[in-house]
Amino acid sequence: MTLPSPEQVLGVLSHIQDPDLGRDVVSLGMIKELEVSPQGKVSFTFELTTPACPVRDRFKSQAQDLVGDIPGVTAVEVRMTANVRPAFMRPKPSEILPGVKQTIAVASGKGGVGKSTVAVNLAAALRKAGAEVGLLDADIYGPSVPAMIGSHAVPEQVNGRLQPIDAHGLKVMSFGLIYPGEQPTIYRGPMVGKAIEAMMVQVDWGRLDYLVIDLPPGTGDASLTLAQAIPLTGVAIVCTPQDVATDIAVKALQMFRKLNVTPLGLIENMSWYVCSNCGHRHEIFSHGGAESAAKRLGVPFLGAIPLEEGIREDADAGTPVVISRPESAGAQAFTHIASQVAARTSIQSFRQLPVINVR
Amino acid sequence: MDVVWEDAHRSTYSGERLRWACPCAECRGEAGAPGRLSRVKNLAPEELRLQDVSLIGQYALQIAFQSGHATGLYTFSLLRRLCACEECAADRKSDLGPGPP
Repeated sequence: MTLPSPEQVLGVLSHIQDPDLGRDVVSLGMIKELEVSPQGKVSFTFELTTPACPVRDRFKSQAQDLVGDIPGVTAVEVRMTANVRPAFMRPKPSEILPGVKQTIAVASGKGGVGKSTVAVNLAAALRKAGAEVGLLDADIYGPSVPAMIGSHAVPEQVNGRLQPIDAHGLKVMSFGLIYPGEQPTIYRGPMVGKAIEAMMVQVDWGRLDYLVIDLPPGTGDASLTLAQAIPLTGVAIVCTPQDVATDIAVKALQMFRKLNVTPLGLIENMSWYVCSNCGHRHEIFSHGGAESAAKRLGVPFLGAIPLEEGIREDADAGTPVVISRPESAGAQAFTHIASQVAARTSIQSFRQLPVINVR
Repeated sequence: MDVVWEDAHRSTYSGERLRWACPCAECRGEAGAPGRLSRVKNLAPEELRLQDVSLIGQYALQIAFQSGHATGLYTFSLLRRLCACEECAADRKSDLGPGPP
């Protein structure tokens, strides 16, 4: 029996299409370290663009089946890994987030729709998938992240740089950690911008696959300064289903479009409630508003999250629900949304960014 | 300054073209008052030479000239409209008449 050539193996693997990137996995450079042993064993590394890849398992079994069917192949070993690609333009590479590959903003326009809850669980879900994740609470006036991760550790300074605190495997920074307690932050707009820049430049974020940024509500001074100061891969917009919330979410989305920040999609929070007594599903704030708004605006709908006591209880207790109750409907919704967000950011990393040269 | 866009189109800008297109309020005027660029006919050479270009968010460039003038944020859509290549100039003629000076 003749041995299959590496070209033959790549030939069959090129039939696997990445549904999000719209190209085959071989031309995307995802197949690495391909070896064919004299005994006919084929082994290779399948490098995904995110550990939270929604089609990870399908890719693996497709690769095994396709290569296994080549005559002469006795065994197939597929090593699944992930390497997140960088995806935004940097003002000065040495200064701003030098080790960060992707920055994902979570915004809403309207307050009180669960933006911080979504940001914390999105970060935790990406971390659980195996990525290095940071969480930046950019809400200077109403920082909610410290309570939701259950940590009030004071960030330490090392060589003049602030160290993010570690919580549930996430690197976290929040104004609520720097100014804890009941003291309010009373800042005018420009000061907010400076504070945010400081949290990027003066904080030692290290190497991160994803930095999730919890933005404050509004489309004014604070958000605008943020969108200028932070180089963003994209923004996920959170809203609740009723019109009064989706209308404002649409405004936020259009603001980011004007600032050339790619909308990764809409997330519907508080989408339904299952009564623990009767088991009946209630749609307290209506249902499907975000999905129809997403359709109308031509952006992806990333998923819906139920209204669950567990999500609120665990947030108040300081453990994101994706960690404390991974089997709950809420946690599964967050995990699904995290893989959708990761897929959308991967697409951004294959975008050809403008190149600017000054002579 | 050269920009290669997402669609691989290449634009080249002279400092002079960029300076006369400065979108800042001082140059363009605000609240009905005419701006500086509509009042002057000539600019000194150091006003026309680029000093530095920095990225603002993901949507604009802040261009600093040797004279110290740096208040203009040139959005990518403005820069694309300012492209001086023959193809884009021809498109502009057929659309809206002459482009910016």
